Amino acid sequence: MGAQKKPAAAKVREDSEDLSRQRLQAILLADSFTTQFRSITLERPKVLLPIVNIPMIDYTLAWLESAGIEEVFVFCCAHSSQIIDYLKKSEWYTRPNPNLLVRTIVSHNSTSVGDALRYIYEQQTETSQIQGDFVLVSGDTVSNMPLADLIQQHRDRKKKDEKAIMTMVFKKQSRLGIGSDQLFVAVDPLTKQLLHYEECNSRGGDFCLDKSLLDSTVLCSDMQDCYIDICSPEVLSLFEDNFDYQHMRRHFVNGLLVDDIMGYKIFTHEIQSSCYAARIDNLRSYDTVSKDIIQRWTYPYVPNIDFSGNRPVKLGRRGIYRASDAVQSHTADVGASTVIGYGTKIGNGGKIYNSVIGNGCCIGSNVVIQGSYIWNNVTIEDGCEIRNAIVCDGVKVRAGAVLQPGVVLSFSVVVGRDFVVPAYSKVSLLQQPTTEDSDEELEYADSSSGTADHSSGLNNLQIESKASELGPDGAGYIWEICDSAHDEEWKHSVVPIPMDKLADITGAMDDDDIEDDIVVPPSGELKSDTDIINTDANDSYGDFEREVEEEFLSAVEKDNKADIVIPLINSHRLAYNMDSADCAGAVFYSMMRLAVKSPHNSATELYRNAMGVITKWKGVLGFYLKQTDAQIEVIMKFEEMCQESEELSPLFAKLLPFLYDKDVVQEDAILRWGEEKAGADDCDKVYLNKCESFIKWLKEASEEEEEDS
Amino acid sequence: MLQAFQEVVKDYSTPPENTLNRDMTAQISSYVSFLIECRPLSISMGNAIRFVKNRIAKLPITLSESEAKASLHSDIERFINEKIIGADTVIVEHAVTKIRDGDVLLTYGSSTVIEMILVHAHELGKKFRVFVVDSRPKLQGKLLLRRLIKRGINCTYTHITAISYIMHQVTKVFLGASSVFSNGTVYSRVGTACVAMVANAFRVPVLVCCEAYKFHEKVQLDYSICSNELGDPNAISKVHGREDINYLNGLTNNAKLKFLNLMYDATPSDYISMIITDYGMVPPTSVPVIVREYQKEHLLQSSKIVI
Repeated sequence: MGAQKKPAAAKVREDSEDLSRQRLQAILLADSFTTQFRSITLERPKVLLPIVNIPMIDYTLAWLESAGIEEVFVFCCAHSSQIIDYLKKSEWYTRPNPNLLVRTIVSHNSTSVGDALRYIYEQQTETSQIQGDFVLVSGDTVSNMPLADLIQQHRDRKKKDEKAIMTMVFKKQSRLGIGSDQLFVAVDPLTKQLLHYEECNSRGGDFCLDKSLLDSTVLCSDMQDCYIDICSPEVLSLFEDNFDYQHMRRHFVNGLLVDDIMGYKIFTHEIQSSCYAARIDNLRSYDTVSKDIIQRWTYPYVPNIDFSGNRPVKLGRRGIYRASDAVQSHTADVGASTVIGYGTKIGNGGKIYNSVIGNGCCIGSNVVIQGSYIWNNVTIEDGCEIRNAIVCDGVKVRAGAVLQPGVVLSFSVVVGRDFVVPAYSKVSLLQQPTTEDSDEELEYADSSSGTADHSSGLNNLQIESKASELGPDGAGYIWEICDSAHDEEWKHSVVPIPMDKLADITGAMDDDDIEDDIVVPPSGELKSDTDIINTDANDSYGDFEREVEEEFLSAVEKDNKADIVIPLINSHRLAYNMDSADCAGAVFYSMMRLAVKSPHNSATELYRNAMGVITKWKGVLGFYLKQTDAQIEVIMKFEEMCQESEELSPLFAKLLPFLYDKDVVQEDAILRWGEEKAGADDCDKVYLNKCESFIKWLKEASEEEEEDS
Repeated sequence: MLQAFQEVVKDYSTPPENTLNRDMTAQISSYVSFLIECRPLSISMGNAIRFVKNRIAKLPITLSESEAKASLHSDIERFINEKIIGADTVIVEHAVTKIRDGDVLLTYGSSTVIEMILVHAHELGKKFRVFVVDSRPKLQGKLLLRRLIKRGINCTYTHITAISYIMHQVTKVFLGASSVFSNGTVYSRVGTACVAMVANAFRVPVLVCCEAYKFHEKVQLDYSICSNELGDPNAISKVHGREDINYLNGLTNNAKLKFLNLMYDATPSDYISMIITDYGMVPPTSVPVIVREYQKEHLLQSSKIVI
């Protein structure tokens, strides 16, 4: 267990209801259990990574303190020793009588949120630390929302309804959330109960809703999950019972929503528009939250205000934060929305825009830094160009080097002279862990040994000075991007989204030009978003067609008889609620597709293929073509196919008589089709004209028959 | 509104006892009074209606009904194309010459002409920044801001209370107008006068862009005693989205308290450096000349004077 600090003076608060008042407690998960910041988090825990020059955990702890929380349990897993050291040195431990007690809980073999909560539950039985409802946050949350009211609301709700065990905080998303998956949420507008929660990976995915939810529900697709939860102790025991719950949302929330037996309920709270809450879960949100902090959305957790862990810097015009002892040359151009840390020197002619520069950096002359995040003690020599990159502590960038957009340089990397680091690459002194090693093991490998081994390893590298991948005097390895992640790189990086991708996304989304919407909509309302449920008739016919085709093709492969195939197709028909005409159309479509697909060199061969297929499968087709309507449908379907496919069109005229010969289509159908088409435009009549002679022959034949009989 | 009048003309048929001139004028008047009931007419609308009535009155009696209607329709079409759309193009061309690389421009509220100017200048490749100043209750600047950002123009958005803080960075102020009076006073969205005054104090040139059809020969010395338009008092008392500071909410019914929501204000000509119109770039003292020329143009078009 980590260090504990006994409260020196217990705070006495008057409370008329409860003498032994429950302390407001929070569990802070200082391990994200994901690998988004992999190249950096091999060496340092994610919660200690600085965002605008302050470690993330400081934002979270400062927020919890001001929100009225009295006790925080920091759950550490990876690099726990670093976290504990940091907390010990910080003012949470050194300050006498803090308002917030920070205790650490260390576990070495947790691999997910579920494991963490189970561990805490086990600890609970020994020490009874968690006394009541608690706030569950992640160590990378930046927020300024007030929590006291929310916790009280949760407690009141729990008193009335035993089953209301969790309250989730949501935020209305005002901008395109491209880095993260889209979220669909269904909420009851009166009670604010959460009814459905689903993450969609691809844009335009559809999902299934329980029909009973459809009355009095509000569906939202523009909500962002802040991952701030108020939980009751039952949550811990639920995790203990279901030992396969790993992920908080995917498993726990969905499990609770689906589970009818226990009947637990989850409620939601929408954050006011004047408050801010965000979680830094990948590089893109790192970028977004950094910009929000610089633009002061997270007030009072902004660089020029003294909150715990922060050395305030002075705020100048146009969003430039400059430390008092930063040295900047006259000719250097420091642009808007930039933060310059303590002890930093900027040389002549530099252009620095939209960036964060940490403490103790030394930046040479004529350097261009744009949209980048430079951490502490970085040396950037003359003439370098750094765009949209993240540069960690202790990096040396030698003269003339260029970092292309999306580069992440991990601790103490050295980029050689005039070297161009390719875009979206992650560079680290440590080798990229292979996928065979369990990721978690690697992360925790040094947790017990500390950083001692690590630094010695560094020295070895420098002494050996073997030819690294970063130029002649560089040091470090460029990690390869695995194929599956390559497409997603542009999504998850610090780089602003390329214009073509942005055009795709905004084209796909409904970008409503709010011409008349001058008034800002009142907060507290959940707007429902339309067109989420996709019940388009055309789509379902397409699905049906595809299924029939699959069925048909598998039948062809297995060489089944007609009477085996027909029931299978019938089952699809019932599922999609189609009638026999549609079935016939679909079957015919599949047959012709098969004919086209089978190898053929000329039109005649195609014709022979088609004939063969029709002859073989006319039993199946005939089953659905008992009515004239169905036959007309087939003919029209054939026409459609001929219009779409060049190869088939000359065959139309030949195949129609063939179908007639084989008794697949009757003359009535053909004649009626002819009559109907006679009134159509010329472009539709193309095929009619081709079959004119045949139809004429049919008419004559039928007249003859009538004369005879 | 003019397009609605075009529809009226198209659908019009002369009743048997009347002449086209008189009857259509009467009809138009009735429509205009309906419009006035919905919202008081702006000065530009008044000018346009006068133009339409003028054209109707000047129609030769010898014309048949369909010819008359066609002539009217084309007249209105010409008015729209020349005086409104064409004027905008000319104004944009003039104004863009005034924007230089490195300029910091300031604009207030949402004016279509100003938006066109900024977009055109950006397309020409000029490097400039824009401050979009906005004010409650209409918050029209947000619309302009959204459109400018879509084009990739570097913008900063601020409230009118902060203009004295930012004005020293600004190199030029561009303002739109609802009308310009004979003595050079600019009649525009409430708040414009403040922006112009602060700009004047900081010696920043103020350029007003206004089409000539909006000019008027009257002279208005003050904007609160003379004509103005009153807006909805509730819009001032209630702040949307911020229930915690709605102190004035519910006081609109109080007999002793009157909410004054003025829509327009008048900027004196001393604060204005230049007015950019489709007749050229003129100082505010030259407005009476334009008004005179403009009216002459109308009179010259008439071929026959109806007595």
